[in-house]
Amino acid sequence: MNIIECSSLTKVYGAVKALNNLSFELQENKITGLIGRNGAGKTTLLKIIAGYYRETLGEIKVFSEKPFNNLLVSANVMYINDQMNFPTALNLKEILNVSSTFYENWNHELADRLFDYFAFQQTQQYNNLSKGMKSTFNMIVGLSARCALTVFDEPTTGMDAGVRKDFYRALLKDYIDFPRTILLSSHHLDEIEDILEDVLLIKDGTKLLHIPVEELKEWAIGVQGSSAAVNDWIKNREVIHSKNVGLDRMYAVVKQNGSESEIQRAKEAGLAITPISSSDVCVYLTSKNKGGIDDVFIKD
Amino acid sequence: MMSLSRISLQEVVKKQYSYKFRSYIQVFLSLVFIQMLGILFSFNGVGMAGTSSSTFEIDIHFYSSDIVVIFTMLWAFITSILITTQAYRNDDFAFITNRLSSNLSNMLFLLTISMVGGLTALLSSHVIRILMYVLGRSEYLYTTTDVSEWIIGFIATVLYILICSAVGYFFGTLVQLHKVFAVLLPVAFFGILIVGAGTMNETIIQEGFEFIFKETSLAIFIVKIGVLAALLFTGSALMSNRMEVR
Amino acid sequence: MILNMDGTKPIYLQISEWLEREILNGNFESDQKIYSQYQLAEMFTINPATAAKGLTLLVEENILYKKRGLGMFVSNHAKQIILNKRKNQTLKKLVLEIVMEAERLNVSREELIQMIQAVNVEEAGE
Repeated sequence: MNIIECSSLTKVYGAVKALNNLSFELQENKITGLIGRNGAGKTTLLKIIAGYYRETLGEIKVFSEKPFNNLLVSANVMYINDQMNFPTALNLKEILNVSSTFYENWNHELADRLFDYFAFQQTQQYNNLSKGMKSTFNMIVGLSARCALTVFDEPTTGMDAGVRKDFYRALLKDYIDFPRTILLSSHHLDEIEDILEDVLLIKDGTKLLHIPVEELKEWAIGVQGSSAAVNDWIKNREVIHSKNVGLDRMYAVVKQNGSESEIQRAKEAGLAITPISSSDVCVYLTSKNKGGIDDVFIKD
Repeated sequence: MMSLSRISLQEVVKKQYSYKFRSYIQVFLSLVFIQMLGILFSFNGVGMAGTSSSTFEIDIHFYSSDIVVIFTMLWAFITSILITTQAYRNDDFAFITNRLSSNLSNMLFLLTISMVGGLTALLSSHVIRILMYVLGRSEYLYTTTDVSEWIIGFIATVLYILICSAVGYFFGTLVQLHKVFAVLLPVAFFGILIVGAGTMNETIIQEGFEFIFKETSLAIFIVKIGVLAALLFTGSALMSNRMEVR
Repeated sequence: MILNMDGTKPIYLQISEWLEREILNGNFESDQKIYSQYQLAEMFTINPATAAKGLTLLVEENILYKKRGLGMFVSNHAKQIILNKRKNQTLKKLVLEIVMEAERLNVSREELIQMIQAVNVEEAGE
């Protein structure tokens, strides 16, 4: 069962294409990480999914329905970002009480326990909270609503390392208790990859990869050695990053093709093979050019 | 598949409506403030007549709650503009809603506050009387009204406030649609006022106003205001139905 | 309980290796029920699907077996299979690395063997 189906989705703001022919499907009860750099179109995509924005071209279905202006989608999608708006007249406890009247699956016990654990005061005002505390409170609302599709858009903005860890663990535990489809956007893949099942990597509004996170870890390998040997070995392979190291040495990252014999050949040629972490794969794939920031400093 | 919550439009509107009552407290606070201000201004009286001879002098002051009603109309107008702004709209979209349910619950809310505003505005005349009495201002008489007259007055007042609110909501929605209206609407309003007053050529607008507001039959007045308010609200709902939020 | 979360080794492999260690250490006997994917997910804060993949790997290698609706259990020869696997795969790979590095450093085979014999396991501990 697909929770989200989107095909050739395009969103245009003036002359900018925030989403460009994006197609993917999201299966039920998976935790998926939406990864991309700033401006890749993550928030635009998520807001279209939540029914806030209208697509320009293409098709999007959430629970098999068009999300824009859709009550079914609104009732079953929780969208949390760092710019949540809550009425200034309500204190934190009242906001939780109002939330409970809206969402059918709302778990008030969970909300209360989290509220106490993170040491919130009933009468505190949302607008007086620090950025990290706001994010923490949003998280409580997002988790307790237990919506069939829960979307966290950069949920950890401003949270300190301890709270971030707590958040990921709370998310995972509640997911185990109450499985649902979760979409988590972030530009720190290394922080969230352990709790993810799939990764959807986008760049300039287009999909680069949509694979299980475990495959992403083995997606690429790094080779280092003399420039001649490296250049020889990476011939006919997909190079996603390369860099000169020292005088006559070179480091290159190539897509893994699963051939043990080639790895063996590389080792025999004196090349050092290193694994590439999934977050590095994402950085290399989404960078504008193969040399990264170093290209800026190249002097002729 | 996890079962999805199915919620009807009616339920959402009901929930949004009661949510607004909890969260728009400021609206009622501002009503109290504005009506107190109106009462204060009413102390000067809305009209005055005087006569004097060599031996005595009579000054007659007319006091009424008219100023309070006018202030309340202004309050309804501004409040309606306010709740079309992004901050208020995003409050709706923090929870379950679509644009239609957001608009419908806003309209119900505005209808309710128009009634509350109308009622308190009329009751303020009693406050003025009591204050007059307490302050011991000269000799003091008051007119009495019977219940049916009072109800007619109430309905008419509520309708005046409601129409202001509908106009405010419509203007506010226009401004949300495009910021240019924030300049255009006041310019048009004062332009017509000035040009109209200058040339005395305001026939259509004047006739329009007279057609709607100088109605002696309450039933027809209700219909006219009702239709006009419905048109304004529907127009607002249609305009904002494709608006992007948050 | 601590996995090596350095981001390079797939977690499901780390999970299966951790389970193998638990079995080798004798924490699980033959035919004893092993952790479910959800228990593992909770223990290590990882996605249940990843934990399941680690378990499946061990089922494929006959270290665990599945009972429909009941969960996964340690098979009879689990220990032996693990030991064989480690010897034939892990250890051989390590030896290859050592030999290659020795060649790069111009260390002869004899010298290498001497070095291996000189290692005091008791001292190094594990």
